[in-house]
Amino acid sequence: MAVIEAIATQYLEAEAASVTFSSIPTTYEHLQIRMSARSTYNYFLASPRLTFNGAAGTAYSSHDMKGASSTASAAGSTGEAWTKIPRYTTGNGDNNYADRLQTGDYGPAVIDILDYRNANKNTTVMAVGGAALTTTGLAVALASGLFDDTTVITSITLDSDGSWMRGSEFTLYGLNSS
Amino acid sequence: MAAFTVIGHTELSGSAASIEFTSISGSYDHLYIQASLRTTSSDSPRGGSLQLGNGSVDTGTNYSWTQLDAWTSTPASSHPTGETYLGGFKLVGTDALADTFSSATFWIPNYANTANFKQVLVSGVCPNNSTTNYEWHLGVAGGLWSATSAVDVVKISCDDLAQYSTVTLYGVTGA
Repeated sequence: MAVIEAIATQYLEAEAASVTFSSIPTTYEHLQIRMSARSTYNYFLASPRLTFNGAAGTAYSSHDMKGASSTASAAGSTGEAWTKIPRYTTGNGDNNYADRLQTGDYGPAVIDILDYRNANKNTTVMAVGGAALTTTGLAVALASGLFDDTTVITSITLDSDGSWMRGSEFTLYGLNSS
Repeated sequence: MAAFTVIGHTELSGSAASIEFTSISGSYDHLYIQASLRTTSSDSPRGGSLQLGNGSVDTGTNYSWTQLDAWTSTPASSHPTGETYLGGFKLVGTDALADTFSSATFWIPNYANTANFKQVLVSGVCPNNSTTNYEWHLGVAGGLWSATSAVDVVKISCDDLAQYSTVTLYGVTGA
């Protein structure tokens, strides 16, 4: 048995409002999502969102430490219906920011979800992601997410402020501990 | 040959001072650690400690690191030197939301070579349902253990680690 196994990959041949990994096996110790994505959001940066088990409500919190162009800052939010994971990806910026984008600009991110099946733990997330842009306006962030719920995770949904564009790709990996 | 091998995995059945892996084989190229940690301290986020060694943990002043971290709206950088542990990550404690654990990863490349000092790349987060300054934390760090010995001991500690804290140690092999 391989230590790291690809559970599923979703490569978008057409725009999609969201991407969901469902029926996630509970046989792994940790989960990891690796993604390369771009949103239709009309700005050069977009803010992805992550929810678990189809749950909305107010049980999610987020924090991030980011660098956007030459400015570093950090922020947090709580009581929301999603966690802002990963903090940034590339937006489409069709109108005002088209000059900063090229067709091949997508945002990469790696999302770690440790002990997702441990019913003694709330679900917590650590992510590194950014927006890859041809010209100005780049951004990168280390972010944390919290889902105040100890239920085992069997479903993960990623959406954004805008739909995911064609060519966006998401792979869910499972990491074994034995 | 598999690129990743599980060397060890520990989940605490009760609180403990540390999680330690010993007699680590030198047959891999790199080490990778994933940790889900909580401390019994009520004064958190609490700084965590990674110590390395050969035969036993090195508790000498041989550790340094450069970190970029935030627990207010203004990220900061610092460079501790001559420390007895490698930091750069913090842990959620009992004053934070119940059942909530920090996440941290450690990448230790070329851990078995005996020619160079050992590098460590650290990423860690302390999630919480609070936006108040100093009640959450995010950090990345580049660390150094100033020893040429091969690493065969790894120890993670922070006051006492809470029940259900887990550490998974992987050996990573190149082609």
